Amino acid sequence: MSLSRRLRRITLSQVAAALVVVFLLLPFVIVMGASFDQSGAYEIRFPPRSLSLEAYAGIGKYLPALGRSAMVGACVAALATVFGLMAALGIVRSGIVGKETLQAFFRLSVQIPMVVTGAVFLQFYYHVSAVLPWNPMSSMAGLVIAHLFVAIPYTVGAISAVLVRIDPSVEEAANSLGASHWATFREVTFPMLRPGLVAGMFYAFIMSFGDVPIAIFLVNQDTMTLPVQIFQDMQFDFQRGMLAVSTIVVVLSLALILGLQRYAGLDLVSSSGRK
Amino acid sequence: MSGSRAAETGRGGANTIRWGAFLAPPLLLSLALLVLPQASFLWMSFHEDLGLGQSSETASLVNYVRIVTDPFYLHSIWLTVYLSAAAAAIGLVLGFATAYALARLGGWRARLALSLILTTSLITIVIKLMGLNLMLGASGLVNQALLAVGAVASPVAFVNNELGVLIGLVQYTLPILVLMLFGVVQTIPVGLEEAAAIHGASRAAIFARVILPLARTGLIGGGLIAFNMGMGAFTSAVLLGGGRVLTMPVLIQQKMIQSSEYGMGAALSTVLLVLVFTVNIVVATCVTRRRGSRP
Repeated sequence: MSLSRRLRRITLSQVAAALVVVFLLLPFVIVMGASFDQSGAYEIRFPPRSLSLEAYAGIGKYLPALGRSAMVGACVAALATVFGLMAALGIVRSGIVGKETLQAFFRLSVQIPMVVTGAVFLQFYYHVSAVLPWNPMSSMAGLVIAHLFVAIPYTVGAISAVLVRIDPSVEEAANSLGASHWATFREVTFPMLRPGLVAGMFYAFIMSFGDVPIAIFLVNQDTMTLPVQIFQDMQFDFQRGMLAVSTIVVVLSLALILGLQRYAGLDLVSSSGRK
Repeated sequence: MSGSRAAETGRGGANTIRWGAFLAPPLLLSLALLVLPQASFLWMSFHEDLGLGQSSETASLVNYVRIVTDPFYLHSIWLTVYLSAAAAAIGLVLGFATAYALARLGGWRARLALSLILTTSLITIVIKLMGLNLMLGASGLVNQALLAVGAVASPVAFVNNELGVLIGLVQYTLPILVLMLFGVVQTIPVGLEEAAAIHGASRAAIFARVILPLARTGLIGGGLIAFNMGMGAFTSAVLLGGGRVLTMPVLIQQKMIQSSEYGMGAALSTVLLVLVFTVNIVVATCVTRRRGSRP
């Protein structure tokens, strides 16, 4: 057998790779497939035996939670991007000493297990509501603040990574052609930062939208998010509507990912490998 | 780069942007959200729970003493470390094999596979766990297949036990490991393997003597990330453990929400946090020391 053929034949690692891809994708295929099955009240079957949309009739219970999760995710993504942009500009552009320490500080909150962050904020909000005439947990604000704490590292990281690669000579050229510093930032730097802004915003949204371990401490019936609702129903009250709403979330997530990759310069594979 | 920036500051005068000022709001916010809650939480952990959400007025180490002496809590710590380490090890083997195969495959097929793998990690974990539960349950696809080929006589209990949590943790960490290790394998030139093969090295020898040493740092880094994810994994531990596998994240939530033992919940959180940071610092120190001692 020739050398190149020996290296090219199907290897153990290729078999493992195929199994891993199937293992990772199958859960989603099963949820989506089972959502189209026509079956008795509590039996979940995959592959489906006869097709029906009956699970989708039970979706109403989950729509308010889906809306809240999307809203919290959007607020967290927007705020984290603003703060992340400021932090990245401050760290990369200023002559401040201890940049490494600052970067490390802004990575700290993702290294704390999320369940600890949730417990910590629950306790903190008890204290806040005892001192101030405001209970952060009576609205979505408490959850947004706790998620913001965890999301800022994603945006700082994604935006600084793009910012350090911007060639200063481009900005100097704009300056010497008469653009003010603000105009240079607005017209030259900001558009070049877009991939970092989009990636950071996207990861912040995804973290917030999918979170269980923080939200489980901070939500009540009126502020319930979708992942927590599904989490609780999976344990205590399996409803077929869950399969339907999950299928919708999978489809929406795919649309979001594809849309951002195609139209907004989001490079998922390379921006995540950096982590 | 900082040199040209300084020159700009000198020239621009009043028109210059003072970038340092931008740092203040995010830094203050992050500091406030880190220090204030953590401090009140740590303070809480030194107070004994008196039931009904009340805690003692005086500070003591009673919660910590209970954690390190009560076999119930010690077993929980052991279980969390053991499951996280086992999941990290399995994830490294599977993740490295996958990353290696994809990096050597290259082209659009590797990109498609990576995109799919990454996408699975972006969709909320509860949906993934719902699918895993249906897939591995008594009447799930895997048991259907095993029964059909006659490999087992009765359904295997894959979920609602420690095995289920382990499978869930591997699912949780694999996508990140594959992506990280893909980057690592890409830095190993295929020419090195071919050179070793020309000189008669077997595939096992090429792996052990060429690939593994070059990937070592990446494997340690990936293993640590996977271990950290496992130590904090709450959702998978509850949903695939069926409430029977009491790892530390599960216990913390139970103490805080169900039994209102805030002091104990806070103490367990602190122990978990210290444990995670210690493991990371120790491993990082060992890696730098070994690298430093090399000729």
